[in-house]
Parts: sequence; structure tokens; C-alpha cells
Amino acid sequence: MSENEYDVVVVGSGIAGAVLAKVLTQAGKTVLMLEAGLQAGMALKPEEDHANYQSYLERFYASTIKATNTPYPELKDALSINVLDIDAHTPYETGYMVQLGPLPFASDCLRAPGGTTMHWLGNVPRMLPNDFQMKTRYDQGVDWPISYADLVPYYEMAENEIGVAGDVTSQQGPDMNHTNYSRDYVFPMLKIPQSYQDQVWMKNTDGLDVFLYGKQYTVSCISMPQGRNSTPNDHYRYGTTVWDRASQSLKLTNNNEHYEVVGATWSGYTGERCEGNASCVPICPVQAKYNALKTLKKSDPDKIKIITQAVASQVLIEEGGSDVCGIMYKSYTDPNSIEYTGHIAKGKIYILACSAIENAKLLLASNVANTSDQVGRNLMDHLVLLTWGLLPEKGYPYRGPGCTTYIPTFRDGDFRKDFAAWISPIDNWGWSWPTFAPGSDVTEAVINKGMFGKDLRATLNANVPRQTLLHFECEQPPCPENRITISAKYKDRLDNYRPVIQYDASNYMRKSFQAAKKVSDQIFAANSIENFTVYSPSEPDYVTYDGQGYTFRGAGHIVGTHRMGTRADNSVVDKNQRTWDHKNLYLIGCGNMPTLGTSNPTLTMTALTYQAAESILKQLESIT
Amino acid sequence: MTTSNKEFDSFLAISAWLTGFEAIELQGTGMTSVYFSTLQKNITGANLEVFFAEARSVLLTAEKDPVAAKARTLSHLMQNSSFNNLAKQIILMWYIGQWFPEPAGDARNSTQINAQSYVESLMWPAADTHPPGAKQPGFGSWAERPIKVDTFNVTMGK
Repeated sequence: MSENEYDVVVVGSGIAGAVLAKVLTQAGKTVLMLEAGLQAGMALKPEEDHANYQSYLERFYASTIKATNTPYPELKDALSINVLDIDAHTPYETGYMVQLGPLPFASDCLRAPGGTTMHWLGNVPRMLPNDFQMKTRYDQGVDWPISYADLVPYYEMAENEIGVAGDVTSQQGPDMNHTNYSRDYVFPMLKIPQSYQDQVWMKNTDGLDVFLYGKQYTVSCISMPQGRNSTPNDHYRYGTTVWDRASQSLKLTNNNEHYEVVGATWSGYTGERCEGNASCVPICPVQAKYNALKTLKKSDPDKIKIITQAVASQVLIEEGGSDVCGIMYKSYTDPNSIEYTGHIAKGKIYILACSAIENAKLLLASNVANTSDQVGRNLMDHLVLLTWGLLPEKGYPYRGPGCTTYIPTFRDGDFRKDFAAWISPIDNWGWSWPTFAPGSDVTEAVINKGMFGKDLRATLNANVPRQTLLHFECEQPPCPENRITISAKYKDRLDNYRPVIQYDASNYMRKSFQAAKKVSDQIFAANSIENFTVYSPSEPDYVTYDGQGYTFRGAGHIVGTHRMGTRADNSVVDKNQRTWDHKNLYLIGCGNMPTLGTSNPTLTMTALTYQAAESILKQLESIT
Repeated sequence: MTTSNKEFDSFLAISAWLTGFEAIELQGTGMTSVYFSTLQKNITGANLEVFFAEARSVLLTAEKDPVAAKARTLSHLMQNSSFNNLAKQIILMWYIGQWFPEPAGDARNSTQINAQSYVESLMWPAADTHPPGAKQPGFGSWAERPIKVDTFNVTMGK
């Protein structure tokens, strides 16, 4: 195939790009995919694939500080955000992002084959129906141009592709019950077993009444749907998603008797079940956790060409028109060299699917799709308040997936007029996030307290297994001033722009921290959890509200920088995720989400990707 | 590099005393030689000799009077002034798998010794678990209490 024969050019090989590549090539369309990361990460031969993945694991083991992107190679020519660069004092320009403040943006993503699904946790709760109507119901943010009901068929496709393990019947909470799902619907696999610690928690938390600003709420604890392999559910009836030309729509086929578990990319016999590595973030050693390469490798190999080490740098518009006529990209051989060669990718339809950060950057750099002036704006994340303490008995944390149970109680309610809703995962990994435990427990005992020998071992054994951590992942509404911009002052080694971020947390968010802490205090009291939570003014993203200080953390849910909407003047893409300004340019990814809800966004974004794939196929068939 | 068997044996014995793990558990990690070389690489020979002499004296005392040995460890090995914190460096090496050049106060910059030293670091078994990303206990294991052979409360062979 020569360069101008492709039906579609896709930028990015994360879950959005991978789903598009699989669906479009299986529908007979030709796809050229550009990926900024290394060829080694895209290896198709099982031996090379396995060797490369082992190098990720080895890098994780051998690194002194272990963070979300630690296992993956750092590329000077296609830098990823590093959460270790986050600093309390803005403005600063160290690292990839230029942080203008007033608060630093605290989340990262990964530029590599497979994208951020390489290091994601894999929690995949759906959004709630009310999340799509935040303006109408709560006078916050905006409504989506589509409803929850519109997205249900695509949620089912996304859950099929990711391979969700979960229990539909237990998904009960505010604005959530069996009617959120199709009749008799089940997930592909049975729920991931809830942890021993969850069971300790639930004794005194499930059914607990808490009081907040004069209102009573009853807390419940339910299992978390996850994108990791468990036991297939015999009642699951779907096979895979295919293009039905007659009806011009995507459809889930029926399976042959049972759901086929998808194991590691190098061998289907590895990773058929979660093995309890307890390292989903940053790497599942056996790939029992879903990653986008599983999907990408199911693309029709005769219909796809993947060019790695190719960094998209500009979207080109035809002279005198508004159609996109190419995507300029820079190819590097050595990821740390400043040398590159320039190329242009050509297709009939162009799709940017390279993250909310990179999509926005690329559009701004090209000065396209921005009639609305919304490109780069409305950057959102879940702002995560953590509370931690010691259980009165051993819960035995640091085992199993990061989260197997969550509290849905504050995901929706009238309070959303006043402060942000949140989801509360009960964390299975002790205090590792806030304190770098258990290493910090060892240094504290040995360096500060001079402990040694059997006393040291007994002290660690008495305390670390009692560590427990609760999250409050609070929904940030869209704010036009929370944004990504670019500046000629800040470029990378390939002369591409670096993201320049302005970011803050409004009082709507800060009040939710106060509310969350009040709820946490009551839950801790009911469980006799000894509180060890500390928020220090020297930490990044320490904020105050009503005289109290709180530190929030990033959730890695980077959303909203090219939102979809109802009109060309209030949004970047329409409800089909096509740019209002260019009829052959689609944007795919979390950047399209007008609001965030309280769900980890990947599942919803993947559902949106199926919906977009359908629109793209329709458009392609209309022009061929 | 030739290593004195006597010093190696002293290293293993004092490591067991300082970490609270049995020598056989330490040997089971496969890390003893790596950590002994790390020590030799980072600490000058003369200092090591004096340290091991003191260590042997503590261990000798421990055979007859563990309480006195504990007191002597605290006063002669665990003070910030004791052999530039060498005993603390040994404990941290075993528990965290990292070398701490100056384990005192806020000076906690450390370096991962190698990949295996992460996998074998003792803080995980001390906390009744396994290092994240390695030694995985199997599907569903996390729904139960950890299964473990309790070597801590059972003295081997006695």
C-alpha cells in the first residue's frame, strides 16, 4: 500500500486507537496508525513481545522510586508526563509539562504502544444517567449531547472488548440499579473476588448511617467491575463487535457457547486469570489486566500499517478549504537524538486518538478545529482526597488488585448543586500511595527509632498488615480556565510543543474535600480505625477550605480538552465526535467528555470510541 | 575478589541478629553474596574489620545473654555514631533492597541494588505479603487471610 491509499489515519495506539484499528480493519477499511513510542513495544512476534515486556518488568524491579510510568522507557523525543516531577511551587517548567499554576496538575499518561492502559488500574464502573445531565439537574457544567441510554449499546461493546469481570446485580446505589443495564445483562466474567480487607471493612461500613450537613446517608459497599481476567460467566452471550453493513451499525455477535478469555499478547495461556501480583499499576506481569495491545493485535494485519517512532506534529488543511489533507509527523531512530525525518500521512478520514493532552496540543499547534475557542479548555481530573489509618485487626493489605470494593453512596444526589460528587474505592494496597509504605515504615523504625532484630520484624508485622486507605475521587466540573495551551517558548527536542498547563481547584471542589473528610471521620469511627491522615502545607496541591487544609492527588483521569457538545460555538466535536470545523477529522478519547462523572473514564471513553467508529464507517461508506 | 569466609559468616550471622530473620531465611533469598559485596564496595576494609569484630562480640554475648546483647547492639551498633550507621545500612539493605549512603535524619537518598533485591526485600514477608509484581500468590488468594509458614514464631529445629 502506498501512503495515499489509506481510508483512515489514526494517531495513537492506546485503547481508542486500538479499538478503531480493530473495528475499521475488520470492516475491510485500511488504516495507517502513527505511534510516538518505540517499535519494541509494538513487537508482533511472541518472543520479541515477551522479551520487551520482561524488560518493562525488570525496569520496574530495578528502579529506586516506583511510579506509574517507571516500567516504560523514557523517550526524550516523545516525553511522557512524570508524576515525580510534580512540585508544590508553581510556576515551573521542569519535566515535560510547564505548570503555570496556581496549582500543579497532578496526573500523568503514557506515550507508548498500548498507551496508558499499560499502567492503568483497570476499574471500569459505568457513568450514571444523571452524569450526562449535570446542567439540567444540578446547574453545574454542561449537559452531554447524548444520554446514558444512547450509550448503553456501546458500553456493552466496550465491556466485551476490555473483558470486564464484575457483578451486575450488585451495582446498586444512587441513580444506579438493574435498569442501568439491558435485561438479563451480565459481564463477560464473574466478579473479581473481593479482598479479605474488604470483608473486614464491610462488617461495620455496609449499611452505616452517616450525617453530612444535616442530611443522613446510608453507606453501602459493592464490588468494583474491573478489566482483568476472572472466571468466565456462563450466561454471557456475546462474541465480538462487528460492522453490519446492511443496517449501517455495529453489532455484538453471539458467542459459541462461552466467553473466550484473552490472555497475554505473547501467549494466550499466560494471564488467563488475575494471579494476585498486586501491581496492576504500573504493570501486570502476566497481562491478566486488559491493555490496548490485546485489541490492536486483533486488527486485520492485511489492512493495517503501524508506523512507530512517529510523532505527529501538525494537522494539515487543504488550501482554500476546510478538509484535512494530511498529518505531518516526525520519525526518529534514536529516541534521545534531535535528528528526525519529516513525513506526511494521508487518508480519507483522520482521527486523533493520542490522549486529552496530546490531542489538544496537536490541534493548537495546527490551529485547527478551534472555532469555538474550546480546544485545550475544561481540563478535568478526579481530585483524590485520601484518608488513611490503622484497622483494629489485620486486614492484610498489599494483596490482590488495587480495588475490589467501592462505596457508591456519594456518586449522585442533590448535593451536587453545592459540592462535587465522589466515588470511594476501598484501597487494597495499604499506605503505599500517600506514604510510600512499607519502605517508609522500615526507614522510620530503623533510622529514627533505632529498631532492629525481632522487635523490628514484630513491629512491622503488627502494624503494616493493619494499614488501610480510603479514596474520595471527586468530580471536577469543566472550567474554561483550567486549560492546556502552547507557547513557542516551550518546545521539546523534536521542535514539538510541550503542554503548558493552568490549573486550579474551585470552592465546589474544596467543599467536597470537607464533606469527604466528614464522611471519612464517621466511617473511621465506626470501624475503630486509628486515623493517621496528614495534609501538609508543603505538599503539592495542598488547599484550604473553611480554615482547614486538604491535599488532593491526581487520579490519572485526564479529561475534557476538546469537548463534545450541541453546537459549533460551544464545543469542538459533535455528538459523533467529528470536529465541527473539519468534516474528515475526528477526535477520539477522554478529551471529548463534556463532564467527568464519578467513573474512571476509560470505559466510557471506549464506549464513545465504538460510537465514533460507527459514524466513521458510515461516512467512509458514503464516500466510497 | 577473594572474600574471607570468616567475614562472610559474620555478615550472615549479624544480618540475622539485626533483621530478626533466621540465617536460613536470609540464605533463602539468594541475596547474601550480593549484599556482602555491596558492603565491601561501599565500606572501606578497615572499618568493616572493626565492625565485624564488634558484631562477633555481640553475637557471642547473645548466645548466653540475649538481653545484654540487645543492650550492647543498641549502644554499640545502632547509634548514629556507630560505624557511620553501618548496622542500619545492613538492615535497610535486607528489608528494602536499597543501599542508603547516609541513613540518618532526613538523609534518605538510596539506590536500588538490583532488580532481584526488590523481589527479595524482607519488608514484604515481614508484612505478611509479597512484593508487588512478583511472587504472586494466585487467583483469589487475596480474599482469604495469607497462607504462610510461620517461621517467625517457630524456632527452626528446636
